[in-house]
Amino acid sequence: MSYEYLKFGKEEKDFIAKIEEISGQNIYSCYQCGKCSAGCVFSDKMDITVNQLIHLIQLGQKEKVLKANTHWVCSSCLTCSVRCPREIDVAALMEAVREYSLREDYEKVIISEISKEALDKLPNIALVSNFRKKTG
Amino acid sequence: MVQYSYFPGCNLKTNAKGFEETAIAVSKKLEAELVEMPSWNCCGTVHTLTSDNIMKRIAPIRVLSRSRKHVETLKESPNQVVTLCSMCNSTLKIVNNEVKKDQEILDKINYQLEEDEETYETDMEVKHFLEILRDIVGYEKISEEVVNPLKGLKVSPYYGCMLLHPEEAKIDDEEMPDVLESLVESLGADLVMSPLFKFCCGSYHIVDQEYIVSSQVEKIVEAAKRRGANALVVACPLCAYNIDQQQKAMAKNTVGKSPIPVFYFTQLMAIAMGEPVKINHFQDHFINPEPLLKELGLIGRKKAK
Repeated sequence: MSYEYLKFGKEEKDFIAKIEEISGQNIYSCYQCGKCSAGCVFSDKMDITVNQLIHLIQLGQKEKVLKANTHWVCSSCLTCSVRCPREIDVAALMEAVREYSLREDYEKVIISEISKEALDKLPNIALVSNFRKKTG
Repeated sequence: MVQYSYFPGCNLKTNAKGFEETAIAVSKKLEAELVEMPSWNCCGTVHTLTSDNIMKRIAPIRVLSRSRKHVETLKESPNQVVTLCSMCNSTLKIVNNEVKKDQEILDKINYQLEEDEETYETDMEVKHFLEILRDIVGYEKISEEVVNPLKGLKVSPYYGCMLLHPEEAKIDDEEMPDVLESLVESLGADLVMSPLFKFCCGSYHIVDQEYIVSSQVEKIVEAAKRRGANALVVACPLCAYNIDQQQKAMAKNTVGKSPIPVFYFTQLMAIAMGEPVKINHFQDHFINPEPLLKELGLIGRKKAK
């Protein structure tokens, strides 16, 4: 058994405050029951599960949160949000993490790198929603 | 004849033309006509889940304001805007709810809309066409109009996420919906229930993370097929594209995967009500439903009257 000492200073608290501000949710409402991850249809594709990501946000571990793919695999289907027993809009937390990285001037999808064939082939509903979720 | 102000949204004019044309045809038959509203814009497709981004909420409000004016020109029209796409439905409904609760956001958005000479007064309701069919038209009237019962078609309803989530936008119970089920039955088709009826198809990940969509679609289609379905019925153009296109891609790669066609609910209605086949735009589908429909004798024979 090994322990990891976590820093919990101003930087961590600022991160939590920002996520709470963007999402409009109280991160400490979560008591880690895991229902969000249990019902998430994308859990198998995430490197850490939704409730684990929330735990990391509660601890203000910005780097670990942003490194995870969890919020980029989330497709905002909102299953977690309608099921959360604490009535947290879990999907809004995922969106807040996405927005946090996008607002730091980081584009997840670079539109100019998508091939012309793909742009012609894909329906506009997919393109618009993708760009709204994955570009700043 | 009641007329409704109808908001098409982007995809109904491009790769889901069959959805729109069949919907308009059956809406006339059922005396709940969908009339396209003038100068609409994209609703944004996905609602922003952020609490602080007002810019992403302007487009839906502009739609609601223009639809309000459109209602004035229609016959017996309630203050409702009707959508066919489930993503439009949820985006418009959520923002409409938000501004009804929060005057401050509404004022800010209205200020932005001044340039377009629009003001929204929160006097509109957003309805999905399925809600109109269930609550206003009624399944009884729908079955009365059926001239070509869909015998032999084993349809599994696939709701996707946006018809049932979130709480403010859902059109039916989020865990046990029955609107598509009842519709399918009233058209004379066999109903096949699948547990993955709202298992997200991967949505917009199709653009940059196709592996997610293909794995989701595989599970959705397998679950329906294992229970005997030979068709899926959907209400979302993005679900339809993902399931349809991914099945075709999978059929190329893997042995023994027989794809099943994906229908919009209005296409099934149009076939059952004896509308011309060409309004379905089956040529836009990746998995052509025509062979199955011909095999079952649902199209391609003289109308039995």
